[in-house]
Amino acid sequence: MRFLKLIRRNLFRNKLRAILTMLLLAVIFFFVATLLAILDNFESFSNAGEGANRLVVQSAISLANLLPYAHEAKIRALPGVVDTAKLQWIGAYYKEKSNFFANFAIDVDKMPTVFDDYKVDPKELAAFQADRRGALVGVDLMKRFGWKIGDRITLKRQIFPFDPELTIRGTYVHPVQTTSVFFPIEYFDQSLPAQTRSEVGTIWVKVKDPKQMAAISQQIDAMFKNSDFPTETFTEKEFQQNFMSMMGNVKLLFTAVSTCAIFMVILLAAITMSMSARERVTEIAVLKAIGFEQRLILGIMLTEFILLTLIGGAIGSFGAHFLFLFVDAGKMTQGFLQNLGVHAKTLAVCMATAAGIGLIAGGLPALRASNLRVVDGLRRVV
Amino acid sequence: MDTLVDINNVRKVYKRDAFEVPVLNGVTLEVPRGDFLALMGPSGSGKTTLLNLMAGIDRPTAGSIFVDGKEISRFSETQLASWRARHVGFIFQMYNLIPVLNAAENVELPLLLTKLSKKERREHVHAALGIVGLEDRSLHYPRQLSGGQEQRVAIARAIVTDPTLLVADEPTGDLDAKNAQETLDLLQRLNTEYQKTIVMVTHDPKAALHAKRTLHLEKGLLVNGYNLDTMASA
Ligand SMILES: Nc1ncnc2c1ncn2[C@@H]1O[C@H](COP(=O)(O)OP(=O)(O)OP(=O)(O)O)[C@@H](O)[C@H]1O
Ligand SMILES: [Mg+2]
Repeated sequence: MRFLKLIRRNLFRNKLRAILTMLLLAVIFFFVATLLAILDNFESFSNAGEGANRLVVQSAISLANLLPYAHEAKIRALPGVVDTAKLQWIGAYYKEKSNFFANFAIDVDKMPTVFDDYKVDPKELAAFQADRRGALVGVDLMKRFGWKIGDRITLKRQIFPFDPELTIRGTYVHPVQTTSVFFPIEYFDQSLPAQTRSEVGTIWVKVKDPKQMAAISQQIDAMFKNSDFPTETFTEKEFQQNFMSMMGNVKLLFTAVSTCAIFMVILLAAITMSMSARERVTEIAVLKAIGFEQRLILGIMLTEFILLTLIGGAIGSFGAHFLFLFVDAGKMTQGFLQNLGVHAKTLAVCMATAAGIGLIAGGLPALRASNLRVVDGLRRVV
Repeated sequence: MDTLVDINNVRKVYKRDAFEVPVLNGVTLEVPRGDFLALMGPSGSGKTTLLNLMAGIDRPTAGSIFVDGKEISRFSETQLASWRARHVGFIFQMYNLIPVLNAAENVELPLLLTKLSKKERREHVHAALGIVGLEDRSLHYPRQLSGGQEQRVAIARAIVTDPTLLVADEPTGDLDAKNAQETLDLLQRLNTEYQKTIVMVTHDPKAALHAKRTLHLEKGLLVNGYNLDTMASA
């Protein structure tokens, strides 16, 4: 476009002001992109079991209360259930308490049926299933600690009175859960005092038809309603969301904070833009005298203002994008934020918002400047 | 004689809040093609207003204005804008170059509104800067030029589209004697060599001597017409 040169020169006419405005936008958009990435992260975590058709059965009393192994067979017998697996969250850690990752005792034979979305090399799976102290480890966790298959690792106790001593037999790949450790539930069970054996925190139920999930869930809870161990059954998504409910209303909070920040930026940008439009009253009048139409002036000025906010927004959001590409947020947050990343969708949202800020903040100053009467502009009576 | 600008009984009233300020009270004027007309008169007499009307950046309250046979006083804003782009070249007292564009880019501005290619635009800019004698300054920014040079760049910008009418509002008002002389010589050359029709507002009687004739405005009325012949024979 032949007016691009004029737009570009006007953009950087007051270099300091342009740079400060862009920096302001960059900082805000870095912040907003990061918040959105964290929300994304939570979201994908609670969507981890999407399409896996799994229900999670836990004690109706609390997650800390365990269920008897006997429940499992009864659940598996229900029509529509493909298979079931016992799974116990262990909460042990590696070396330092701050090394946060999930570790589970599990029915290793049920990995391929119930947890079929965890992709494992068949040879490694066989080796894992054959070792009563074998461990199956997420690829990202392997990388984080520099582990290799065959390594012996000891996890330290936190809840249950034993320190799992494991040999890594295989790795798995999963789109979301990339940093967990699985090991045989028999090893866990035998390490407990005799009176607490044969009990487990959760039973995971693979259902054939997703449409049946709700019905089967009700059936399970009804079945144990009057037993000594009543159950509460969730879809995997609900279960993960409950687990994440400690995040409380983070989403609301993040949204509120981002909205405030963006509102502030709009105000500040509007001030800058009306200042810069005002300074150019005479020039705009000259352009109009030369024959530039109102619409053209409006277009030129809006393009300039939108470019200003777009550049700032791009620096901030792409800055966050590349930062999380090269900096392992998992390590920085001790595993709390795994695979944090500003994704294409977030970048698109940020860029659209940045353009919107330019349009809203610059709209009025640009409109006023373009509607200026030539004679008034030349006299500078405005 | 071929009339270029034909102004008939034009009145202009500015409304300021509740007040009405009459500025032009029935001006009738013909500017022939190829004329170099100087408009003189005391401050506030309406010189700039009259110039703006015939240049199509303002519209009369009453009366009609024809330029080159077109009644521009009936044009809409948009029509006026595109008409100005093709037919009028502006020269201002304060030069009014765009500070972020260099001399060549300033001169190119009116050409951006035409269909000319980049190459053609460059040729036109080169020619216009050649006429004002500033080819060697084409890459200089306004702040790197003297006042006289700035005004010559502004004149190049005004003539680059080869407009029908050149209007100049106190083009020497901000220049020293030497630069004023050069600017006036240039305008005179545009008139004689390139047959440009020029209307120039000025306070300076010496400047007016460069024009072919001079008209005086007083309180919104043309008082009488002098021209070089009558002055010379007086
Ligand atoms: N846009 C406007 N709004 C209100 N009044 C105006 C406007 N433009 C001009 N005037 C008034 O019209 C009168 C004539 O103004 P104009 O600029 O035409 O005078 P001038 O002869 O060019 O004066 P000068 O020699 O000082 O430039 C002045 O009294 C001025 O205040
Ligand atoms: Mg004036």
